[in-house]
Amino acid sequence: MKKTNAILKNSLITFGILCVCFSFSLVLKYIFHNSALISAVFVLGVYLISVVTQGYVYGITSALLCVLAVNFAFDFPFFAFNFTIAENIVSAIILLVVTMMTCGLTAKVKRQEAIKSERDKERMRANLLRAVSHDLRTPLTTIFSSSSALLDNFENFTDEQKTEMIRGISEDSKWLYRMVENLLSVTKLDGDNVKIIKVPTVLDELIDSVLVKFSKRYPGKTIDVYIPDDFVTVPMDALLIEQVLINILENAVQHAKGMTYLKLSVFITSNKAVFEIEDDGCGIPDAKLKEIFNGVYSSYSEISDGRKNNAGIGLSVCASIIKAHGGNINAYNGKSGGCIFRFALNLEDN
Amino acid sequence: MNNKYKILIIEDEENINNLLKNLLETNGYQVVCAKSCAGGKMLFASHRPDLVILDLGLPDYDGTTFLKDVRKDSLTPVIVLSARTDEKDKVNALDMGANDYVTKPFGSAEFVARVRSALRISRRSIDEGKLPGGKFKSGELEIDYDARRVFVGKSEVTLTQTEYNIIAFLSEHSGKVMTYTSIIRDIWGYNDLNSTKKLQVNMANIRKKLGDKPGKSNYIVNELGVGYRMCDKDE
Repeated sequence: MKKTNAILKNSLITFGILCVCFSFSLVLKYIFHNSALISAVFVLGVYLISVVTQGYVYGITSALLCVLAVNFAFDFPFFAFNFTIAENIVSAIILLVVTMMTCGLTAKVKRQEAIKSERDKERMRANLLRAVSHDLRTPLTTIFSSSSALLDNFENFTDEQKTEMIRGISEDSKWLYRMVENLLSVTKLDGDNVKIIKVPTVLDELIDSVLVKFSKRYPGKTIDVYIPDDFVTVPMDALLIEQVLINILENAVQHAKGMTYLKLSVFITSNKAVFEIEDDGCGIPDAKLKEIFNGVYSSYSEISDGRKNNAGIGLSVCASIIKAHGGNINAYNGKSGGCIFRFALNLEDN
Repeated sequence: MNNKYKILIIEDEENINNLLKNLLETNGYQVVCAKSCAGGKMLFASHRPDLVILDLGLPDYDGTTFLKDVRKDSLTPVIVLSARTDEKDKVNALDMGANDYVTKPFGSAEFVARVRSALRISRRSIDEGKLPGGKFKSGELEIDYDARRVFVGKSEVTLTQTEYNIIAFLSEHSGKVMTYTSIIRDIWGYNDLNSTKKLQVNMANIRKKLGDKPGKSNYIVNELGVGYRMCDKDE
C-alpha cells in the first residue's frame, strides 16, 4: 500500500515537472524563435526530478522523454523525429549523463542522511544504556552484598540488623522491578515501525487503576483527582499510558521537595483528552526543563553521588510512549512554584 | 497431617520453584513440584492436588496446554504465573478456565492471599453447589438472588436488568477475574464490535451506583485491559 502510494506520488511529480518544462519551452520558443534555451530548461527539469524522486527510474525515464520531446518538437526538423543529426544526439547524451550523475549524487546524500539519523538513534540508545547500567548498579549492590553477607555470617548479625538488610533488599528489588517495567516499555517502542494497538479505554478505569497502584507503592500520599463525570473513552494502549501517569506521579513524590499536594486532572477538549499532573514542590530548574524528557538529565548530573534515581529514564519513557501515541508531553514550572506535567491524547483514533 | 491442602507447582525456574515451595509450606500447605508441562501432568494425575500454580513459559510445552488438558475433566483451581511480556497469554489463560493470575514479580502476601482465595472459592462451590439461590454478601454489599435485588448496607440499589445480570454473574465468580469476553458471552450471548463498549458503560453505572470511586473500589475491582473481579467475602 505504502509502496504503491510512493510510486504514484513520484510519477505524479515527474509528470508535473515534465509538463511545466514542456509548456515553458513552448512559450520560450514562441517568444524568442530560438531553440538554444530549450535544452537548458529540460536539463533543469530533469535535474529537479532526480533530486525530488527516489531512485534512478524516474530521472532516467524523464531524461529519455525529454530527449524525445526536444527531438520531436524543438529541434530541426520540427514535429518529427530525427536521430541522424549529430547535434541532437550529442545533446541527448549530455542530458542522460547529467541525469545519471544527479541521481547518483542525491542517492548518496539521502544515504548519508539515513546513516546520520541512525547514528543519532544509536547514540541515544547508548546514552540510555549507560544511564541504565549505572542506575542498576546501586540497587544491585545492596541486594548482592546484603544477601551474601546474610548467607555468610547469618549468626553474627543481630535480628535488627538482619531485618534492616532484608528490608534494603526488598526496597531495592522493588525499585529494580519498576526500572525493568520501564525498560520493557522502551523495547516495545523501539524501532521505527512500532504500531501501538490503541483500545478505547474508559477514563475512570484508567485513573482507578493508576490510583490503586500508586497507593500500594506510596500508602501515605494522597492525590487530588479531577476527572469529568461523563463516561469517556480514550483510544490508547492502557498499560503504557498507565505507566506514564505512574512515572510522572512517582517523579513528583521522589523529586519535588517540599511537596504538600499532588493533583491529577483530566479535561476533555473538542478532540483531545488533556492529562495534567501538578505539584507544589520545588519545581525544576529551567536549564534542566528542556532535557528532562531525553534521559540525559539524571545520568550525568544528579546521579553522580550514586543515589538511586530513575527520573531520567522514567520521564524519557513517558515521552516516547506519548510520542508513539501521536501526542505531546510538556513540563512547566507553575507560577506559584511546583511543576506541571501535561500531555494530550487524541479522542479519535486515526 | 493429611488434611492439608495439596498444591502442585509447575515452574521451571529453580529459584522461583524453591521460593514458592517454602512460602506455601510455611503457610501450612503440602506442596509437590514439577519443572515441565509433562511432569506436571503426571503429578497432577497421581496426586490430584487441590490447586495448581502454573507458569506459562515452560520448556516443553506452553502452560496453556496443561490448562486445556486439566479443564477437560476437572475444575481444580489453577493460578497462572505470568510475566508482563505475555499479557495476551494471560487473558487467554483466563478465558481457558484459569481462576486467577499473578504477575511476576509478586509480593509474598499478595500471592498467599490469592492462593487462599482460590481455594476458598473452590471449596464454596463444592459445599454449596452452584449459585444462584440464596444470598451473596461482601462487606456492605448484599445480593438476593431469588428476589433479584441488591443492597448496600440497608438501602437498596436500583439496577437495570443488564446491570443486575452483570453484578450477579461477577458475584457468582467472586474472587475470580472475569475477562471482558467471558462476561459478554454470559450476559449477551454474542460478541460484536459494540459489546465491550456496552459492558464498559454498564460497568461505569454499576460502579457509580455502588459508590465506587476511582482509586477506591469497594466491591468490584477493575483489572485494566483484562476484566473485572468482584471482591471476595473475606477480602
